[in-house]
Amino acid sequence: MIEIARLENVCVRFSRHNFEEKSLKSYIHNLFKKTPAKPFDALKHLNLTIYEGQRIGLIGRNGAGKSTLLRVISQVIIPQAGKVWINKTKKIVPLLELGIGFDPDLTGEENCFLAGSLLGLSHSQVKTKLDRIVSFAELQEFIHQPVKTYSSGMYARLAFSLATEIEPDILIIDEVLGVGDQFFVKKSVARMQKLMRQGTTAIMVSHNLDFLIAQCNRLIWIDHGQILMDGSPVDVAKKYRTSA
Amino acid sequence: MNTHFLFHFVKYQLLLKYRYTWLGFFWNIIEPALYLIVLSIVFSVVNKMILEDYAVYLFAALVAWRYFETAVMTIMESIVNGAWLSKRMHVSPYVYPISMWLIATVNFLFAFLAALVILLFIKDEWTIHLIVIPFSIILWALFALGFGLICAVLYTFFRDIKAVIQMGLLFTFFSSPILIKIELFREYSLQSQLLEYHPFSYFVFLFQKPFYYQKFPSTLDWSVTLIISVTTCLLGIWLVYANRKKFYFYL
Repeated sequence: MIEIARLENVCVRFSRHNFEEKSLKSYIHNLFKKTPAKPFDALKHLNLTIYEGQRIGLIGRNGAGKSTLLRVISQVIIPQAGKVWINKTKKIVPLLELGIGFDPDLTGEENCFLAGSLLGLSHSQVKTKLDRIVSFAELQEFIHQPVKTYSSGMYARLAFSLATEIEPDILIIDEVLGVGDQFFVKKSVARMQKLMRQGTTAIMVSHNLDFLIAQCNRLIWIDHGQILMDGSPVDVAKKYRTSA
Repeated sequence: MNTHFLFHFVKYQLLLKYRYTWLGFFWNIIEPALYLIVLSIVFSVVNKMILEDYAVYLFAALVAWRYFETAVMTIMESIVNGAWLSKRMHVSPYVYPISMWLIATVNFLFAFLAALVILLFIKDEWTIHLIVIPFSIILWALFALGFGLICAVLYTFFRDIKAVIQMGLLFTFFSSPILIKIELFREYSLQSQLLEYHPFSYFVFLFQKPFYYQKFPSTLDWSVTLIISVTTCLLGIWLVYANRKKFYFYL
């Protein structure tokens, strides 16, 4: 099996004072303080290997470290300790949020070029895909309008359409599928399933356990920054449900 | 580095600035012109000079200084302002400062051309010495980038540094020979010595000498500015690299 990502002994630590103040004043103040603020460990010595074609669901309570883990895999966060290896030959598309790289003042089309370039596509590559992106998002009439005039559903449709049209090898999804009207949710789930059938590796966070059981072939339960259970979706979900 | 993204980002930011307003383009010309006129009138009195003569003197370095100031201030905030993206997607930390630098540079080139047009009316003699101007611009641009990168790293960790930098820039501006002519003071007086050895004077001379004094900058001017700009650039690049892992936690 081809490895997609390997995390060894990964630790991510947030210092608490970072949230309060980021100033020279507080820095100097902290130098003289006897008890430094206790740090918060979002991930603790976490080990994880992801193989091609796996569809992984992440579950756990709020603040368990699910989103932090996705950010480590997307290389947004570089952990303070441990090793992260990512298969560089694969195209990763992180959907940590819909519409990453969108500028509200630019038109829908311009945003496709801008956000597309962020996902590693050249101008001409976006150009050839543009028609399909627009028609899937059902935005033919509005594509030359600034996206700040879009409704939140239209915005999400364009973003989802763009991110999935570029045929990623690895899709990282953080609770973004609940947007748009029912028809679009149905349509986007269908597209996700199609991508997965084609062999796209997916890592998703959701609080919708039934959705994860239906879509995933591996479920990971995270608690307090550590993996509590990792296995078949049905087994993990059963244990998770009884723990609540 | 995400060069495709950098290119598109800069292109669209510039496009947006000029898209909805014709004034946007003219503002680039009107604003420095107004600034130039007001300062010329006030400081020609201080410097006891004829207005036209002083305007040429002032213009020589003022437009470049305004570029330096804008570039440093926007680069400084660029990493923090890039949080909308860098908290969600892996992007090289150099993308934000470099895009702000490119935007400031393009705007400067427009303003510089506009100022040249104004000068056509008030400056009589145009000499061969002006051919060094592109090199002067390159050195200023490098210095702005390097100093901006250093400020960007500092600002990410210590937000209150902004006021300090702003004050430092203001002090540098008013204590440099951009506004006040060295000849105003007696030779070898303290003031003229301070102006002469002001670290920014060498950068100012790169523009003033060819424009106003109609001579080439000296070897000393070139070497001091080259050393300062290259050193700050390397230091800035290294600082961003050394701290790249920490930025996320301070955004």
